This record gives sequence, structure tokens and C-alpha cells, in this order.
Amino acid sequence: MTRPDTRSRRQLALMLAPYLVGLVGLVLLPALVTLALAFTEYDLLRPPSWAGLDNFVGLTEDPIFRVALLNSVVFALVAVPLRVLLALGLALLLHRRAVGVGTARTTVLLPTAVPEIAYGLLWLWLFNPLYGPINQLLRIGGEHGLTVLGRTPPQWLTDPTSARAGIILMSLFTMGETFVVLLAARRALPRDVYELAAIEDATGWDVFRRVTLPLMAPVLALLAVRDAIASLHFTFVPAFVVTDGGPPPYSTTYLSLFVYQTGFEYLRYGYAAAATLVMMVLTLAAVLVQWRLIRRYRGRYLS
Amino acid sequence: MKRKALLALALCATLAVTGCGSGSGSATSTPVKLLVFGAPEELAAYRTLIEAYQDARPGERVQLIEASDRRDLLARLATSVAGGAPPDVFLMNYRFYGQFAAKGVVESLDERIAGSSLLDPADYYPVAMEAFKWDGAQLCLPQNVSSLAVYYNRTLFTKYGVPEPQAGWSWNDLVGTATLMTRDDRGLVIKGTEAEGAARLPAVHGLGVEPSIIRLAPLVWSNGGEIVDDPQRPTRLALDSPAAREALRNLVDLRLAYGVVPTDAEVEAEDDESRFLNGRLAMLMTSRRATTNFRTITDFEWDVAPLPIYRQPVGVLHSDAYCMTTGSKNKDAAWRFMEYAMDAEGQRIIAATGRTVPSHIEVSRSSAFLDPNQPPRNSQVFLDAIPTVRALPTVSTWPEIEDLSYGILENAMHRGDKLDDVIRELDTKSRPMFARGENG
Repeated sequence: MTRPDTRSRRQLALMLAPYLVGLVGLVLLPALVTLALAFTEYDLLRPPSWAGLDNFVGLTEDPIFRVALLNSVVFALVAVPLRVLLALGLALLLHRRAVGVGTARTTVLLPTAVPEIAYGLLWLWLFNPLYGPINQLLRIGGEHGLTVLGRTPPQWLTDPTSARAGIILMSLFTMGETFVVLLAARRALPRDVYELAAIEDATGWDVFRRVTLPLMAPVLALLAVRDAIASLHFTFVPAFVVTDGGPPPYSTTYLSLFVYQTGFEYLRYGYAAAATLVMMVLTLAAVLVQWRLIRRYRGRYLS
Repeated sequence: MKRKALLALALCATLAVTGCGSGSGSATSTPVKLLVFGAPEELAAYRTLIEAYQDARPGERVQLIEASDRRDLLARLATSVAGGAPPDVFLMNYRFYGQFAAKGVVESLDERIAGSSLLDPADYYPVAMEAFKWDGAQLCLPQNVSSLAVYYNRTLFTKYGVPEPQAGWSWNDLVGTATLMTRDDRGLVIKGTEAEGAARLPAVHGLGVEPSIIRLAPLVWSNGGEIVDDPQRPTRLALDSPAAREALRNLVDLRLAYGVVPTDAEVEAEDDESRFLNGRLAMLMTSRRATTNFRTITDFEWDVAPLPIYRQPVGVLHSDAYCMTTGSKNKDAAWRFMEYAMDAEGQRIIAATGRTVPSHIEVSRSSAFLDPNQPPRNSQVFLDAIPTVRALPTVSTWPEIEDLSYGILENAMHRGDKLDDVIRELDTKSRPMFARGENG
């Protein structure tokens, strides 16, 4: 009886091996090296030298790092809930069979399929303050380049607040993956619960609050956690391609861009590694907080 | 167990090969790897140079590695050095080579120059050669020696009957000319300082100039000021002298007081170079680099004029050089290519694209550069500026300082930040960057 067991286990191990090799070789090892480099002074060109906590002390005194950190946190706090909510709304809207629903779903997914750099360049055109379609549209009915309300349309690339809003706007349309997962989750919900709710004359809002939301909560929570982690990454390309970290000073310099610039442009790799470490700790903290919130929510509903 | 180990080994090997495959060359002649960045026309020029070299010297091979922009080039160079497989030769501006020079990545060429039968340092403009010396050693060989000039749209000047910029013109002349050339769509002179939403906005702007330290520097110098406290051992950006302050004031006033340069939103909508190309900018202050792009213009005639003068004519050096990496495994072949590229023949090929002002004195005075059939007619302007050009500091943290100052100066010009705050911010924020830097 034990023979087939070990055999299948061996097979499983074999199948897992390519993934494990990749994970260890391409993710874990470089991550560990980066962690170690955070405690050194390293410029990529000369061998690293031990620096202890100097990099971290430097980070606490670095105004650019502080701005980048704040920008990243604000981005995550605003963009993550918006992305998940938008995906949820669209999933609930598009889960039924109806005419044109396939096309609608494809449309929602499409922006996610566009390569990141191309997506950035596309928005650079959309955001063009004078000739871009967004501001052209806002100017309809207005005079002398103003909106119909007599105000200047948002200066997407030159005003700090508009630029930050612009980056969040860009990130909203790439929630296709979250949408697909939520769509699948919604479609997998048992039909009889909804039939029961209909018998009880529950309103749409009640059904959403007492049936759909609690049932989908685990999935939603997982997606929110995933999005929070990813939010530190997906600010990079927009800031790099569209705003170049500006408008000055550093309005859209997020941690990811800060790390790239200090590491690869200014050749302060050790310092950048320290910033990366802070970024990881921050992510971990965000995940823990969310986890606790979810557990409390589950405790209320499901126990 | 054994099979698993074998499989893992095979996988590791695959990873290693795909990851660093480019590191090991073929057994026959290994090509010299040349890392450059630039616009498509510039890259085409390097391809032409390489082809000519390979034709002239059978058996030699050069492989062009193209980076998308300066940042990409810096990142590629740094990571390839860290990875132990650097390119053999790279092309870099003196403003950015300091960080590599200070860290021993760039090979000293003194011995090779001394032993060369082709290359004589006396053939090249000394100011460019000097910019690439680190601790007394010649590290790189300058391929070009450019300076700032004022490109202008002659057709527009004729149309509005405004006198063209003349050599020896002053800053006030520039402001006056730019004011006269800022026009609305009816062709009337207009002041571009009115709030957005004004009934009439400029259709043509008088001048395009980037609010950066490299544009500001020659103006400050011309006025008798300095941009750093000590040009040899700088410790801070120092624009607090009256001369420097005046030049800075006048630069930001181009937008704030006269409205002759486009607003930040207008620049974001259409950058100055495109604006000039599209005939909506009368003058543009930029280096020789723009020439290649402007040669595509067919709708109007354009030319160049020297920088305006405050007290004395001063220009700012723009120069890129071929540098050899210390980690190169192919130094002799790399040197042979550098010799060819620096020699009259190689310089002529690059000069023909219009991109560069050749650093080779003789070539710069030949028709390869001064070709009367190719715009700008007045290319002599670039040569006349060379005796008075000055170089910016080559401190290793200069790229950071340039980025920092760009943000601050942009807000000074477009947001109207108070000059005292601007000068103080440049001073205090640049200090730690200079302190971390190394000087050659």
C-alpha cells in the first residue's frame, strides 16, 4: 500500500520542482540578497561594505523618501477600496445572462490585457491638458478653454492633486482580474439562498447586505489583501511613464519609483534595498491589519 | 532521487544559460559591445559608423547595444558592471560619467593614447578633453563638443518683420525679440501672461527654454556669477550672489512677467521641440542635438544664433564621450574601434547626421560639419562658441543634483515660487548630495 503512495508523492515533487526552482532562484534568493544589502553601502560598481543601520537612519531623514512613503500609503488607501468596489459592482451587474453581457465583460477585461507601457502611453495622450480627449470633453459648452462651469479643466500632468487623481484613475481600469474572480465567485453562489430571500420579500439592498456580501466576503477579503500588496507595484509604470514622478516636487513619486531611481539611476543600491525592506514591512503590516478586520467580520457573521 | 537531482540540475543549467547567455561570446572574434542611447536617427548614425568600420577593417566586429534613454543606459551599465559582464565601450555625457569615473569603472586611456599612431590629443578641442579627465587621467574620449544655441524660425521672423537675432545680442534683446514674436492667431502681438481662459491665447510663443540648471548656468556665468560655491570642490548650489540671482530672476520672468515661453500645461501638451517643429515657437534654446530632428522640417526655414550675452560671452559645454570599461574582456579590440570612431573618418560619419559638433578640430571646420546645403546655415555659431564654453561640475552625484534642481526651478518658473525660497531650497537640498559625491 505504501509503494503507490511514495510514487505519487515523488511524482508530485517532480511536478512541483520547476516551480520551486524558479521560486527559490528568481524570487527568494534575490529577495534575501536584497535584505542583506539593505545593511550595506553598495553602489553596484564597488563591493558592498557593511553600514549597519545607516541606511535606515538616512531614510528617516530623507524628505523625498517620506513623500514617497506618504504617496504610496495614500494611493493604497484610496485606490484599493475603489478598485475592489468597482470590480464588485461590475461583477454583480454582469453575472446574469443578458444580451450583450459577453461583450460588456470583455470590455471590462480589456484594459488589463494591454501591456503596461502601452497603457501608460495611452493615458499620456488621454491626459494631455490641451489636446487630450478627456479635457476636450470637459470643455464642451465652455468658452476660452474653460469647462461649462467656467473653471479650468483638471491639469492632469502639472497639478499635484490632479496628477495623483490621474494615477488612481489609471489604476481603476486594470481591475479585470479582480472582476473575473468576483464574477466566478458570484456565479458559484447557491441559487436556493436567493430563492429563499425572494420568498421573504427581501429588497435588493437586503439581499446584497445579508446574502451576497457575507457569502462573497472571503473572496473579497482575499482580493483586497492581494490588491493592497500589488498596489505598491502597479504605481511604478504610471509614475515612470506618465508623470515621471512629478509634477514637482515629487507629487507622484511612489516608493517603487523612489527605489528604482535611487538604486539604478543614482546608484545607491544599498539605500534602495533599505527602502525596499521598509516597503515589504509596510505590506506585511497592511496584510495583518486586513486579516484582523476580516476575522472580526467573519466572527460576527459566520460563527 | 537521482532523477530528481538531475532534473533540478538541468533546470538550473537552463536558467543559467538563458539568464547570462550573452556573457559568453563565440569562439571566433568576439564583437566589441558598444552601449549607446539616442533617437532613431542617432542610432542609425552609429550603425553606419559600425558598418564603415567593419568594412574598413575586415575581421573586426562591433555589436551595438541600444538603450531607450539616458536613465535606461545608466541602469543597464550599472547592472551589467555589477553582473560582471559590462559592455566594452559606452557613450556618455560628462555630466553623468562622474559616478562611474569615481568608482573605477572607466579605464584610463593615457597609455593607449600615448602609444597610438592614429590619435593625437592635440587634434581635439581641449575643453572637451578636459571634461573627461578624472584625477589627471584621461578616462574617455569626447566624440562631440556642443554648446547651447538659439534655434529660430526664419520664416516666422520674415512674416512678422522682426529683425533676426544677431551675434552679440544681449539678454534684453532676447526678451524684446521674444515679446515681439509672441502672437495670437490673428498674428497680433499678445502678452501671454493672462490667466487661463483668457479670450486670446498665444498661437506662437516667442521662446522655448527649459528651466534647468544646464540652461541657467551659462546665463549666470555670462553675468559674472557662479552656480556652485566652489567650481573645483563644490559643496552646494549657490545662486545667492547678485549676478546669479539676476540671471535666475530674468529666466523665470520670461514666463511670469513677459509670458513669452509656453506655460507648463502647454509644455506638457506639446514639448518645445515639437512646438518648434510645428512652427508654433519662434525661438528655442537648446543644444546641437535638436538639429537632426529639425532637418526633417520642410514647411519653413530655420537657423541658429548664439546665446545672448549679459557681460561676457559664455557657453555651457555639452559633450559625450566614448568610455572603455575596466571590466571589459576585449580591450584591445575596443580601443581599435575607439580610435576609428575618434579619427577624422569616424567623426565625419557621425557629423554628417547633424547630431554632433565634432570634437576633432579639423573635421569641425570641414564641410562635413559646415555643409552649406544642410540647415542650419549658420553652424559656425557652434564653433564660435567653443572658445568660451565652460563645463559643469562632474561630481559623482550630479545626476541627482540635476533632477533636484529641475523640480525646484520648474516650480519657480511656472508656479511662481518666491525667489528667496527657490535659492534657499536649491542650497539646502543640494548640500547632502554634494557631500555624498566624489570629485575628480
